[in-house]
Amino acid sequence: MKKALLLSAAILCTFSSYGQSQESFGGQLHGNFQLDGQWYIRDEKIDPTGEFYPDERFLGQGYANFVYTQGGFSSGLRYENYQNVMLGFPEGYRGEGITYRYLQFKQDNLDITVGNFYEQFGSGMVFRSYEERGLGYDNAMDGVRVKANPAKGLYLKGVLGRQRFYFEKSPGIVRGMDAEYNLGEVLPKLDSLGYRWTIGTSFLSKYQRANDPFLVLPENVATAGVRTQLTKGPWSFQTEFAYKANDPSADNGYIYKDGNGLISTLTYSKNGLGLIAGYKRIDNMSFRSDRNGSTIDMLINYLSPTSQVHTYALPALYQYATQINGEEGLQLEANYKFKRKTKLGGKYGTLVSFNYSAIRSINKDFVAESDTTLRVLQGYYSDPLTRGSIPYFHDFNFRVNSKVNKRLKLTGMYLNLFYNQSVLEDGLGDEAIIANPDNQRLMSGNIFIAEGLYKVKSKHYLRVEMQHLSTADDRGDMAMMLAEYSIAPHWFFSVQDIYNYGNPDVDQQLHYPLASVVYTTGTSRFQLSYGRQQRGIFCVGGVCRVVPPSNGVSFSLTSSF
Amino acid sequence: MKRLLGIVFFFGCIALSTSSCDVIDEPFKGSGTVDTTSTQQERNVFIEDFTGHRCKNCPKASKQIEELVTAFGEERIIGLAIHAGPGNFTNTTTDYPTDFTTTDGKAIQNFFGTNFLPVGMVNRENYTPSGNSHWSSYTNWPTLSAEAMDSTLRIALEVSASLSNGTLSVSTTALPQVNIFHNLDVTVLVKESGIVSPQLQPDDTRDEDYVHNNVLRGYVTDVWGESIGTAPIIVGDELTANHSIAWDNSWVKENSAVVVYVSHPDNYRILQVIEVGID
Repeated sequence: MKKALLLSAAILCTFSSYGQSQESFGGQLHGNFQLDGQWYIRDEKIDPTGEFYPDERFLGQGYANFVYTQGGFSSGLRYENYQNVMLGFPEGYRGEGITYRYLQFKQDNLDITVGNFYEQFGSGMVFRSYEERGLGYDNAMDGVRVKANPAKGLYLKGVLGRQRFYFEKSPGIVRGMDAEYNLGEVLPKLDSLGYRWTIGTSFLSKYQRANDPFLVLPENVATAGVRTQLTKGPWSFQTEFAYKANDPSADNGYIYKDGNGLISTLTYSKNGLGLIAGYKRIDNMSFRSDRNGSTIDMLINYLSPTSQVHTYALPALYQYATQINGEEGLQLEANYKFKRKTKLGGKYGTLVSFNYSAIRSINKDFVAESDTTLRVLQGYYSDPLTRGSIPYFHDFNFRVNSKVNKRLKLTGMYLNLFYNQSVLEDGLGDEAIIANPDNQRLMSGNIFIAEGLYKVKSKHYLRVEMQHLSTADDRGDMAMMLAEYSIAPHWFFSVQDIYNYGNPDVDQQLHYPLASVVYTTGTSRFQLSYGRQQRGIFCVGGVCRVVPPSNGVSFSLTSSF
Repeated sequence: MKRLLGIVFFFGCIALSTSSCDVIDEPFKGSGTVDTTSTQQERNVFIEDFTGHRCKNCPKASKQIEELVTAFGEERIIGLAIHAGPGNFTNTTTDYPTDFTTTDGKAIQNFFGTNFLPVGMVNRENYTPSGNSHWSSYTNWPTLSAEAMDSTLRIALEVSASLSNGTLSVSTTALPQVNIFHNLDVTVLVKESGIVSPQLQPDDTRDEDYVHNNVLRGYVTDVWGESIGTAPIIVGDELTANHSIAWDNSWVKENSAVVVYVSHPDNYRILQVIEVGID
């Protein structure tokens, strides 16, 4: 082991460019690299005062990962640079440096990691450390992780460390344990009956020093969860319940109320039919390693959404973001593939999908402000059996995918959206809305999408997309058209335009064009684009971040070995 | 080995679950006020509150400063509202006609690197070019203020300000309380309170009679300060500086004050700050 450690240290210090996976000192070295940049062009139509036009004119950022493995040992690091961070990403990313490094070895039923790591307990409602580069989200732990398998079917995890806060660390210490028991490994009879059953429990506590002159703040805050998953044949049911002790924070307005959350999912899949029913209720489950944290900073847990994530451009303008202070959501999804050579399936089969998700506030009975102590201690009472009065979001969509012939595939989709802008963009709290419901900004609209993929000839594909949003709210009607032509395996060309022809402000009835060229060779990919991005705003917990409008030429280079 | 792991995990769970949660029954610490009668100068707190009249959460930050002033006294807590940040929070409109922004305020916001509101800095502690620790949420200002006030005063300030013939003159004397082995800068600025102008409120309503306090009006020195002492600076030294600026007649003298602070020229940390009225 000492030899491995020395070898890895030597390698980590002498990285150079590699075109493919390298065998070094008896082990394997892998890596990947990405560089993005944009030249910004002054565009008075979308930014009349020039306030979003960066002084640098050019912004660029990138990263490279290197991982060395040899037997049960692995090590790695990631270098990141932001000179300066591109518009729309969190501005906390300033500078450059090694932001992720670790050493890991496995022996004697132990898996030990020191340094940085990502980890998750259950669904993540108690603890999830992960990275989402597209969002600029990274709450990697820096500390120690131990995984063990002390008995048949029993899997243990322990974590201790602090979370990443851009180029720094969070002020709070995170320590937790998780146990999962796979009953099927212990009770063979379950397995023989076709059941797969796991149960699990998590416990996690954070410590953050408190020196508030007015409030007695809990320095240690704990959360715990229990979960189970049962599968038999086409059916699967999983659920998790979590409880969090008093955790006054900037998110919840410094109330001492405890929090809880319940997530349940039932699925069925057989003979081309898939069904999913999901339910989620969370109450005051914001949990960060800094009680003063905001937006996407230093979140310890992850509250999975109960809405569908759309990749089409117009529905993506109105995506739902989980409301960590409380929400109740229901999601129903069904898809069925009509068999080929049937009346509805046609020659090649037809896939029909339906999705409905609806999310609203939880019931909240607020304590009067005159009752100062109870107002701070409790904040509000919530009856889990009573529905909240404020609708946050709904998405009803219906989609048909059909292969018409050997060359042509068609997709049609209809969406009906409701989006509470006051809650989801402005961060307006339930109490303010209940007091003044007429002050809400609401958006509802219908979106129609048609997509066709046509095989022109061998290795040549044409994809066309048409989308239309009809709404009398927010920015009004929009139409979009996209055409992509790919020549496998190297070239890809794309042009698209979103025309906001229904904007109530005539000066903002603008086109948002985007053109891209992509060249791929081996494991490397280079993309060059020109386009205009719409202005938006991103708010969480009452603090807002502007996603500014921009216009310019951007490029991206990715490579791996 | 497996049995050992099980035992370690079992006792680890017990230790973690019994020692790692503080349940609070009484959230308040006394009255929250402190003795403000001391005549000896102590380290004061300078809170730069980045704000905007169309930023609905910004009144919460202003209110936090008011509460701190009430608790610790206006000599110890000195707030400055810097209207700078995204245009959709700070620009003027028909409903929000007053332009509170300043070129200097924008320069500070750009240099320290943030684009969301409300946010602030307390004595500009913990600045690093690639870090964010110098930024703090208004919810953290009580803690940071308490820590700053508990720290040692390294240099005391005596300041006088007068307005005569349209010229504001500010006289500053800095008196080291300990030996200081780095250079020192002094910065002088004017702020104004009691300005009635519309402000967006946390419930998304517009308060047209909102009173804006501590509004940055302008810097008497350069926005990044001017040298007042070169290292080593030792106890017994008396560092002096005089500055003047043409008075802007749109500023109401009775509602205005002069703020002077001395800072480390490399990391911008503010060692002492003082606020005086204008004679």
